Amino acid sequence: MRQGARVAGGMLGVAILLIGWQMLAQALYQGRLIAGPVGIVEWLGRDPGLALRALARTLGNAAAGFALGNLAAILLAGIAFLWPRLQDLVTGLALVAFCLPLIATGPILRVLMGPGEGPQIVLAALAVQYTTLIPLLTGLRAVPAAWLDLIHSYGRGRWVELAHIRARAALPYLFAGLQIGAPAAVLGAMVGEFTGAERGLGVLTIRYMRDLDVPALWGVALLAAGASLAAYWAIGGLARLVLDTRPPVLLAPPMRQLRTGRVVGGLTLALAVLLLWWGGLWLTGLNPFLAKGPWDVLAALVWAPDATQMRAALFGALRESAGLAVPGYLAGLAAGAGLAILLTLLPGAGPLVMPVAVALRAIPIVTTGPLIVLFLGRGALGTITLVAVMVFFPTLVACLHGLRQAPGHILDLLRVHAAGPLSQMIHVRIPAMLPALFAAARISVPTAILAVTVVEWLATGRGLGSLMALAASTSDFRMLWSAVALITLLAVLCHAVVAGLERRVLARYAPEQLRQ
Amino acid sequence: MPDSIGSEAIICTGLAKTHPGGIEAVAPIDLRLMAGQTTALIGPSGCGKSTLLRLIAGLDQPDAGQVIILGMTPEKARRRAAISVAFQDPSLLPWLTVRGNLGLARRLARQRPDPVRTLRLIELVGLAGFADTRPAALSGGMRQRAAIARALVTQPQVLLLDEPFGAVDELTRRQLARDLPPLWQEAGTTTLLVTHSIAEAVTLSDRIIVLSSRPARIVADIDVPLPRPRPADLAEDAGFRAIAAKALAALSALT
Ligand SMILES: Nc1ncnc2c1ncn2[C@@H]1O[C@H](COP(=O)(O)OP(=O)(O)OP(=O)(O)O)[C@@H](O)[C@H]1O
Ligand SMILES: [Mg+2]
Repeated sequence: MRQGARVAGGMLGVAILLIGWQMLAQALYQGRLIAGPVGIVEWLGRDPGLALRALARTLGNAAAGFALGNLAAILLAGIAFLWPRLQDLVTGLALVAFCLPLIATGPILRVLMGPGEGPQIVLAALAVQYTTLIPLLTGLRAVPAAWLDLIHSYGRGRWVELAHIRARAALPYLFAGLQIGAPAAVLGAMVGEFTGAERGLGVLTIRYMRDLDVPALWGVALLAAGASLAAYWAIGGLARLVLDTRPPVLLAPPMRQLRTGRVVGGLTLALAVLLLWWGGLWLTGLNPFLAKGPWDVLAALVWAPDATQMRAALFGALRESAGLAVPGYLAGLAAGAGLAILLTLLPGAGPLVMPVAVALRAIPIVTTGPLIVLFLGRGALGTITLVAVMVFFPTLVACLHGLRQAPGHILDLLRVHAAGPLSQMIHVRIPAMLPALFAAARISVPTAILAVTVVEWLATGRGLGSLMALAASTSDFRMLWSAVALITLLAVLCHAVVAGLERRVLARYAPEQLRQ
Repeated sequence: MPDSIGSEAIICTGLAKTHPGGIEAVAPIDLRLMAGQTTALIGPSGCGKSTLLRLIAGLDQPDAGQVIILGMTPEKARRRAAISVAFQDPSLLPWLTVRGNLGLARRLARQRPDPVRTLRLIELVGLAGFADTRPAALSGGMRQRAAIARALVTQPQVLLLDEPFGAVDELTRRQLARDLPPLWQEAGTTTLLVTHSIAEAVTLSDRIIVLSSRPARIVADIDVPLPRPRPADLAEDAGFRAIAAKALAALSALT
């Protein structure tokens, strides 16, 4: 019954959307900025083969990266679980990989791996691994002690525990990670295509962007969004088949306090990253002109003859990008949390909006970047809006979910004392929402960087993205590697700041979230 | 119980446990339980009954003293599937049906599946129509009964039950009190049962041990020499009332 109502509601929504959209396209800009469904279908009809081949190529790469990234995540989760001492290091390295700026990593991978599909696949894998690893680890650990007692009461040990309890208990978390990963993989593959592939939806985007072919741009964005949504739903359906329930709507649980303490943990991680970087270059024996080591980057930024210019260019671009990313990021968080609160206050709105928001979260918004720039121009507003939209949807979904997690018996208690919806919101629901808000805030750090750099690369010609485009076209590998190192470092630091803030707030409002 | 009369199934000597944080839960306790007997453990809430049970099962390590079960360490006894525990919290696995939970217990105990015995036990605890239901769709009392059935399905020699009837309604409780003891007698099971109900303790057991408030110490050790099978209207019996009064007096003396 509820399922039926939801499907009917969804279809009605789609119909209204389509009609309203066509009318808007006609009325507002005579089709110059918004292409209506009619224009898009015309584009598709012009050369269906081209669009479908590009779609197939992008999806193939995304699927390969998805498989690779998730396999790596499962492997890493196994390692971190079996050797708890390694957990901080493993999750730290995964975070660093997650924070790699795709737009600067793409061109480097391009020269290292050649013109084929390699970079797209690697970027897709990088984009999915972290959001699978962290929930999976939580799932493996978040098992009631009583279940383990049961295993032990029959004299069985860790392996049976893993096989019969933990693996199964972690399944919903794994599916949640996979579900979030599906659109992320499409996104990663398309960013790889932006940075110099030969085929795929990303390549088409760049071409249509140059030609200002609005219906085609809309068409490509819709194809990417549709494919992501389909993958997202398919995984959700599979999860329901396997689990009998839908996977949890969770992003990433709060970070545990490091076992080793923050300073030692940070230093160990830094050392491990440097070792991997340096060791990787040494093992693969790559051409030193293309592949720069930690030492080269340090030299380029500190004591090389042109270090001053390097720093000026890099930090100037950084300042420009940060000036767009930070306001967008904050606006996205605020809008997501605010709308979630508003919708929860409106009776009956929550259940209606949730499925729509969950679906929209699955759309790789970056692929619509060119459209937003078309709309709002190449100035600051367009970029900030895109960042905000990218951050907005995951935050909205997480916060809606968090608001619903408010413990029912406490709400009942408030109702007994005749507390109104507003005071229920302030005293119970918002504190219950905080963990979800912070999870979204952490995960959105790399998202914001990605959004800014992609728009700058594709459209605005400013900031880090544009600097990377320039460096790639002039084969300035010192600049590319320095940018990757610097942006990753900053992203990890920002993430650490948000996580620190999160620990403080949760210690006060949701202490149970920190115990694990 | 015939061949095991006289031997001791569980021997605790000088058993003591202090929880992290300095909460002294079990004072040094000496306890010997005869094979095939049912012993009830009563005492104030929070006095350390569950802790004592976990020590006996070897799920927690004592700070002092030792436990011998059937002549073995608890670890060895567990590995031989000689022990079953029904925890205070039913802790059924949510992704398995009632039948599946029982089946898993047999697998964990390295025993072959036994669908007939499994179904018989499910019926015995009054869950006849619910063998293929998952725990989420059961009431609290039904879950507890499923956990009791799970504890029995591996045919343990030692059965440790932690308030197994806490959420079970009065009628079902009576029915279980009628049906379970013959099962234990037949199999010669040594049962240690934590309960808050004096009536239940007298009805089910051969011996009642009263524990003091935390840290748990034995303050009374009461024999229950009532003949078995015990009738449903046992509470009317003068012997029953005398024993219940003794247990109540021992508990009341604590405050
Ligand atoms: N894991 C633990 N860590 C610290 N203290 C604990 C732990 N488990 C139990 N305690 C403490 O030990 C004492 C005894 O607890 P236990 O669970 O054994 O009581 P109980 O007699 O079973 O109580 P009840 O009848 O309410 O179930 C309590 O004060 C409890 O707070
Ligand atoms: Mg207890």
